[in-house]
Amino acid sequence: MKKYLKIVAASLLVALAFSLDASASSHREAPLISNDPLADNTDVYAFRSPEDNSKIILIANYIPFEHPAGGPNYYNFGENIRYEIHVDNNTATPGDDIIYRFTFTNVNEDGTTFFNIRLGKQNIKTTYKCERSINGGSSFTTIVAAGVVPPNNIGPRSIESAVGLGAANYESLVAAAITTAGTGEKVFCGPADDPFFVDLGGAFDAGNFRKAGARDGVAKFNCHTIAIEVPITTLQKTGKSVSQATSILDSDFIIGVYANASRPAITTLSNVGNKPDASGAWIQVSRLGMPLTNEVIIPIGNKDKWNATAPSGDGEFIPFFKNPELALYMDDSQFGTAVPGLADLRIQTNSLGSFDFRNGKPGLFPLKGNPALDGTALSEANFGSILLPDNMSPRAVDILPAFYTGVPNLRPYQLATGKPTGNPLAAGKPFINNFLPTLGDYLRLNMAVPVTPRNSPDFSSLGIVQAAVLGLTDPRYTASGTALQFIPNMDGFPNGRRLEDDVTTIELQAVGGVFLAAIGLWYDDYVIGQSPVTPQLVKTISFKEGVGKNDTTIRTSFPFVQTPWRGYRGAGYTGPKSNTFNTIGLSPDLLVLTAFPSPFRTMVTFHYKIAEDAQNVKVEVMDELGRIVASFDQGARKAGDYYLPWSKANLAAAAYYARITVDGARSKSIGIIKTN
Amino acid sequence: MKKNIFNTKHLVLLLCFLAGSFASEASSHREAPLISNDPLADNTDVYAFRSPDDPNTITIICNYIPFELPEGGPNYYTFGSNVRYEIHIKNKTTTADDDILYRFTFSTVNQDPTTFFNIRLGQQNQKTTYICQKSVNGGAFTTIVSNGVVPPANIGPRSIQSTPVGLGAPNYDALITAAIANATSGEKVFCGPVDDPFFVDLAGAFDLGAFRPEGNTTNATKDGLTRYNVHSIALKIPINLLQKDGKNVSQAANILDGDFVIGVWASASRQQIKTLSNNGTVAFSGNWVQVSRLGNPLVNEAIIPVGMKDKWNASLPKDDVQFAQYFTNPELALYMDDTQFGSAVPALNALRIQNHSLGSFDFRNGKPGLFGLKGSAAVSGTALAENAFGAVLLPDNKSPRAVDILPIFYTGVPNLAPYQLATGKTGGPLSAGKPFINNFLPTLGDMLRLNMAVPVTPRNDPKFSSLGIVNAAVLGLTDPTYNTSTAIQAIPNMDGFPNGRRLEDDVTTIELQAVGGVALAAIGLFYDDYIPGQSPVTTNLTNVLSFTAGPTKNDTTFKVAFPFVQTPWRGFDYTIKPRF
Repeated sequence: MKKYLKIVAASLLVALAFSLDASASSHREAPLISNDPLADNTDVYAFRSPEDNSKIILIANYIPFEHPAGGPNYYNFGENIRYEIHVDNNTATPGDDIIYRFTFTNVNEDGTTFFNIRLGKQNIKTTYKCERSINGGSSFTTIVAAGVVPPNNIGPRSIESAVGLGAANYESLVAAAITTAGTGEKVFCGPADDPFFVDLGGAFDAGNFRKAGARDGVAKFNCHTIAIEVPITTLQKTGKSVSQATSILDSDFIIGVYANASRPAITTLSNVGNKPDASGAWIQVSRLGMPLTNEVIIPIGNKDKWNATAPSGDGEFIPFFKNPELALYMDDSQFGTAVPGLADLRIQTNSLGSFDFRNGKPGLFPLKGNPALDGTALSEANFGSILLPDNMSPRAVDILPAFYTGVPNLRPYQLATGKPTGNPLAAGKPFINNFLPTLGDYLRLNMAVPVTPRNSPDFSSLGIVQAAVLGLTDPRYTASGTALQFIPNMDGFPNGRRLEDDVTTIELQAVGGVFLAAIGLWYDDYVIGQSPVTPQLVKTISFKEGVGKNDTTIRTSFPFVQTPWRGYRGAGYTGPKSNTFNTIGLSPDLLVLTAFPSPFRTMVTFHYKIAEDAQNVKVEVMDELGRIVASFDQGARKAGDYYLPWSKANLAAAAYYARITVDGARSKSIGIIKTN
Repeated sequence: MKKNIFNTKHLVLLLCFLAGSFASEASSHREAPLISNDPLADNTDVYAFRSPDDPNTITIICNYIPFELPEGGPNYYTFGSNVRYEIHIKNKTTTADDDILYRFTFSTVNQDPTTFFNIRLGQQNQKTTYICQKSVNGGAFTTIVSNGVVPPANIGPRSIQSTPVGLGAPNYDALITAAIANATSGEKVFCGPVDDPFFVDLAGAFDLGAFRPEGNTTNATKDGLTRYNVHSIALKIPINLLQKDGKNVSQAANILDGDFVIGVWASASRQQIKTLSNNGTVAFSGNWVQVSRLGNPLVNEAIIPVGMKDKWNASLPKDDVQFAQYFTNPELALYMDDTQFGSAVPALNALRIQNHSLGSFDFRNGKPGLFGLKGSAAVSGTALAENAFGAVLLPDNKSPRAVDILPIFYTGVPNLAPYQLATGKTGGPLSAGKPFINNFLPTLGDMLRLNMAVPVTPRNDPKFSSLGIVNAAVLGLTDPTYNTSTAIQAIPNMDGFPNGRRLEDDVTTIELQAVGGVALAAIGLFYDDYIPGQSPVTTNLTNVLSFTAGPTKNDTTFKVAFPFVQTPWRGFDYTIKPRF
């Protein structure tokens, strides 16, 4: 088998060389929350920091589709909302083990303008408090008392100019807003480029996925990010550092992460436009662990309920994972033929001549209780009751654990590499262990897995799928058989989630059965004794949803999300100058000289205004070299306005200066233009 | 008096400026802090114009829900089912409240709750229907549309046209046509998603007034609303249903008949108490509270300061006097005044308010304006007289724009001196001139006021202009067809903003020019560089008239028939254009 794999590895890698693209997560994903954008959690990321491998980065994004020019009231975190990031690191303790809670306050520094920023003042200026609980929410300690949210990146006049904030640049505001908590975390809350990418227009037109012409529906939009850099010792359940891990898949280093937003139960509107009154118990209105769960797995009738439910209550949604709706569109006996955009994905109906994983089919259930399962995760002594619940829940064996428990480093959840032909239940090559069996939707990350450098040629936005491909086909990893080895992208989704990960493609491939194939439950076109890298497997792995990557880069250091798109781009426009009778200055009315019209052809009228009586007023016209062209002695003048017409049709067309001198002391000059 | 005060030499120059296309911008999208977080109830624009396809009717369009991304699935935008959407009409000043009120309430149902798709196999989720009720003269509500249908979002070809995967419609426009309802009381009604007809350089405007005029070579302007949809409520109403005495337009005494003026505004209200439950449902109870309202465009975006914006949205027009100070001394005027922040906003250089008009009158914020004339013999017989409207228009010596900006928004402009074009004025700005507007309905509150007797300018007329009344004024001052007499004449674009508002009108440019003093100049209070005896078409005036605030037209066309607003952009494959 290894031999065949080697033969086809080259062709498979060619297929992978095409740019991989993918799409969005939880933007407007449920009816109620789609109308409450401030509390709408769009994405959660958790990954080991590429700049400091002893830290984990947790990022929770809120507020979808922020128009970078969406003024005059730009987007910001909402008051009366609790934004929280929950971390579970221990199945032995009830509830979440660590909770970070953020609450925001907005003030108007200058309520007299309709502009967001003017003359150094900022309206809807937002600050925050971050509290942390390490006892499941029983008590909270404030770890950032006065955090600052940078303003929106409106444009150069608002951010850099003297009439705005006078900042050096927007980046300096981001840098200044990064706070280090007393407990060791780095924290940033603020607007950022939305790192997600998805062909929204295609995906939601009844699955109109397209290979050509896909467009990133969240391109050039911002969101609001809460980013935390946390030492692994803080997250690991007994305070261990990563150097104490027993292996790169040490089970003691697994965390489950989700974020949510809650509002007080009762909102009472003011009838005079004051801020609404909020009271009552806090009610969760949005939550997100794994990407896209509430977008494409939970059906519309349950989406709002999903958002209101804690992961501990996720048992009721299990049917949507065991028989996912998306699988209907990869199954020709269901709606497969009606969704040509997914034609490359076809679920195993006869894997190894036996196993049917289409919705409603038995999957691996025929093996239930079979001694062949002894020692595997599927045995009744282990997790058979969850993974093989009945004869019509085929995806309880792969999709459900990917979302609800994580995947253990146990048979059969090891790569086919090293497994005897046709025996997926045998020991194979480990590639994942993020098993934290809480039976709820969390983004699960094994923090002991090494970081794949972002500039590594092996880095791939396909995450664990790519790790599986390398582990099955790349001699660097197949040569050692079933030995545990770091394979690039084992630190990618669904083992945590990196900003680059193309989770839409990964999830669609997963529903298409790619993980079943990876562990040896090959596609229907596999012929025993021949290569498992069959045309169907190649089609599956080559399938890409949408655009494949974010519309800008990712930063190389915290907070990793990119600077928000600037609303106003390019140079400022300066309008044609009009004449006025006053010029700006501390004493604008002291001495004024204007001329109209300018440019002039035959006649120009000077207007001057003096604030105090004067003995000797003189008006002169000079050319560009300072030579006097005309001089008008006005003599003594009382304070007031005077007009001085001057007709000079034969003057050469050029720029001239007019100067008024009062009592030989105060003077003022203006430019005038003569045309022909 | 019959002699044109403008000489033909300058006329040519001015018309050259006018030949360039005029541009303008947006209205009330995310305009106040609270409503910016409640998009379903956010009223973005109100339009009211005499229908070009049926001049016996008025079309009123009220748009809600800003920035609808055409591909914004899986839960596409639709009207809120716990929101009261209302269109208010006044046609007389003898009553305090609405004379006609249309109320729309919407319901949504999921036809197939087992899918995450919006449309699948002929079934539609978040499918929205409505009832429309009407109250006249404060009377009981009558249901005039009981089973209105809102078309689905224009998701893409699979969802809309395909069979059996989608709805199997022949095309999206067929769904629009089918959704146009005939009310029992004679109106036509349409509620549904459409292209947002507004256009504005949002990025420029709100980066401290960094406006980028269309056609400038420094930095191309961007329409911040391009390729976005909104949800429209459109009504086509026979004029005799709107005229206070039930008259047809043929019974109007003239094209500026004061009896044919209506004031229009729209609102959205929610019940006061919202209660979330921990099972993902929400309940509403209590009194209805207005959370959004809009009459004239851009009032709450660029006139009301941020500290008052939420209060503005909660207030009724009849209580608008409390906000009058923002009209008598508008913030925008500070940016057109070199003694204030004028030099700090170079994009508005072309707009410089008269501070020495006719050698005397200073209209900058805090200055007296025309107050020096208060009670004088000069104003007797004019709108400024104490026995006319002097109390409102000349309130004190530091409210200069009570004479122009305030009436445009709060009372409408009467066909009385000085509010007539300088054409034919032989005795200065206070003398009788050529009529160009009468939408006077002095309720002292913000409404979009339309004189329904003014003839329609055909949209294909070469003189049709998105500058509305400003263009009518220019024609009345300079075009020999109109500038030789003070007779009432139908000047093209007299049916444009601020006499009502057409979909095409570039209200941002018009309002900025107005704050820059263009209406004052039109009635003879010329710019500072005017020299008596010479043309009033001075550098300053041409700078103002050639100023545009950004894009000058919508990013697509308009329909030639009701509902006039254009088919919504299709999420799957609309042509992309940068929005900032």
